[in-house]
Amino acid sequence: MSTQSIPAQPLAARAPGRRRRFGLDLARPSRRHWLGYLLLAPAVLLIALIIVYPLFISLDLSFQNVGIARLDQPRRPFTLANYERLFTSAEFWMACWVTFKLLVIVTGACFVLGLATALLVNNRFRGRSIARLFVALPWAVPEVIAVIIFAWIFDSSFGLMNWLFITLGLTSQTINWFSDPDAAFAVVAITMIWKGYPFVSIMALAGLQSIPEDFYNAAKVDGANAWQRFTNITIPTLMPVLGVTIVLVMLWVFRDFSIIYVLTGGGPLKATQTLSIMTYEQAFGFFKMGYASAVGIVTLVLCVLASLLMVGRRAEAMY
Amino acid sequence: MAGIRIENVRKSYGAVTVLRDFNLDIADGEFVVFVGPSGCGKSTMLKILAGLEEASGGRVLIGERDVTDLAPGDRDIAMVFQNYALYPHLTVARNMGFGLKMRGMDRGEIDRRVSEAAKILAVDHLLDRRPKELSGGQRQRVALGRAIVREPQAFLMDEPLSNLDAKLRVHMRAEISALHKRLGVTTIYVTHDQIEAMTMADRIVIMRDGEIQQIADPDTMFARPENLFVAGFIGSPGMNFLLGNVTADERGARVSLFGQDVCLPVPLAAVPGIAGRPVILGLRPEHIGPAHGPVSFAVRPRLVESLGSEKYIYVDLPHENRGAPADAKGADDERRGDALIARLVDAGAVATGEPITLSFDPARLHVFDAETHRAIR
Repeated sequence: MSTQSIPAQPLAARAPGRRRRFGLDLARPSRRHWLGYLLLAPAVLLIALIIVYPLFISLDLSFQNVGIARLDQPRRPFTLANYERLFTSAEFWMACWVTFKLLVIVTGACFVLGLATALLVNNRFRGRSIARLFVALPWAVPEVIAVIIFAWIFDSSFGLMNWLFITLGLTSQTINWFSDPDAAFAVVAITMIWKGYPFVSIMALAGLQSIPEDFYNAAKVDGANAWQRFTNITIPTLMPVLGVTIVLVMLWVFRDFSIIYVLTGGGPLKATQTLSIMTYEQAFGFFKMGYASAVGIVTLVLCVLASLLMVGRRAEAMY
Repeated sequence: MAGIRIENVRKSYGAVTVLRDFNLDIADGEFVVFVGPSGCGKSTMLKILAGLEEASGGRVLIGERDVTDLAPGDRDIAMVFQNYALYPHLTVARNMGFGLKMRGMDRGEIDRRVSEAAKILAVDHLLDRRPKELSGGQRQRVALGRAIVREPQAFLMDEPLSNLDAKLRVHMRAEISALHKRLGVTTIYVTHDQIEAMTMADRIVIMRDGEIQQIADPDTMFARPENLFVAGFIGSPGMNFLLGNVTADERGARVSLFGQDVCLPVPLAAVPGIAGRPVILGLRPEHIGPAHGPVSFAVRPRLVESLGSEKYIYVDLPHENRGAPADAKGADDERRGDALIARLVDAGAVATGEPITLSFDPARLHVFDAETHRAIR
């Protein structure tokens, strides 16, 4: 074969066409995009397998009356019963309300705390690196460990918080944090805020550092005071970053499971049962997988709607 | 509008001094350009004037009002930044009106001033766009517009043209000059480009290492540089520097240049001081002619660059005239001290390596002390 003699030849002597021995020359400009698709393929296949396929399975399940789902069993008849039951159940609307409350409180507090800490550690001061580390620390702590720490802090008999409340004279007797619905909700919200704000802080800090110094100089020359500079320059120029960050935090609150499940398990009296806890309870507590899938699908739709609402035009490139 | 007085302003960061006793009186309506190489302190001085940096000492007065410790917004000045500093989230109109809004001016008056300034700068059709939809030149105009609407006592401009391409820069240069003539507002303009300084300024302040080297109008700066640095910085191509040893006789001081005895244009009183010592002689490329003259010499060009209307002839210096200090050159001139450039207009055909006769008039020579680098006149 003629190709066998090619490696022995000096490079310059090779005919340019001979290099296409494998029939696919990806270096050719007209085929360069093939390489892109080729490199994307494994990831796309993986996502299709572990995200898209289960999504369709659960969509399909939500329209069937299924207890324990098994792929080897024949498909049950199509029914809207799961959704009918869902929209008429008080438990579902309660879970929606809890999720919504948590969403507003946790996202709002993460936003304020994250932005405030980012502004703080964006200043030049001694020990800034340490301060930045401490701001970002909760993000690095695994969720379950954070939950255990907070479960101890809010323990009713030997927890730090009760000691603090009694020492400060805010209460005369110990508060049973996990048996009172409002207190349990507060504990869940506080834990989620503690775990979630560093993400906003890190993103906001990155955004703050990309704001040109001259924007502030120009505003100073124009006579803007610190508050005016914050509202007219910092916030609007950070908006593309903050918009996306808020969406991510919202989605995290929507789907977070471990914090609530380990702290309260959704109780007491379902006061901390969010949609994701409810999905789990229905699927693996009561083994009503069809019904659980319906909850999951509704949660997904809500997530998509909330994201669309928040991303909107805000994320447009500014520069 | 007002004049500006800068008295003994100093600035240092720890042990590093970036600005030494800076004194300057700027008349009402004057266009003053601070020029110098990077790190000479010109931008620092401008920031001190704007109130964005604190001076380590000295006073700044705008219109006889001491503003040394006033906030930038209380100084009644407007500033144009190198990268324009246009707010990306605001439209052109709101960018231009930002300073007025911050001062609590009512909407109608803001709109009136913005549209007036937009007309002057020919950006009135862009008022609803955002900065990212504008070209470099348009952004520059909007940045100028933002300064104009404020109707301030003075404009401060920090290298406003350095982000534009060469052609647009020439165009905007002329526009800023025209704008200054029209508005008559005191302007301080910072640049590292000596051509911008020469073309725009009423007066130029040349700075180096935090010190003022010379303050003069462009023509004086070109014709009578105070020292070697100024001589090398102003002019393009830069001044040629030749080293020579002075011999004195009753007719005056003489040096040997290109093997010829040349009489130096220094007063007789200065002759005894420099007799027997080396001096640096400056000769501008445009003062070298293509034909016989008072001092003629035959050379073979090392390199000929043609710009169409003129030619730059690079010629090797004789060994005895080499060795002028490298720091005499302008900051952006990396020429070695062994070549001389002649700038010939309508010289006809000149080829590299072919013999040519060049000449100069000794009266055009600038004489500098080889040690102090100061001009000897």
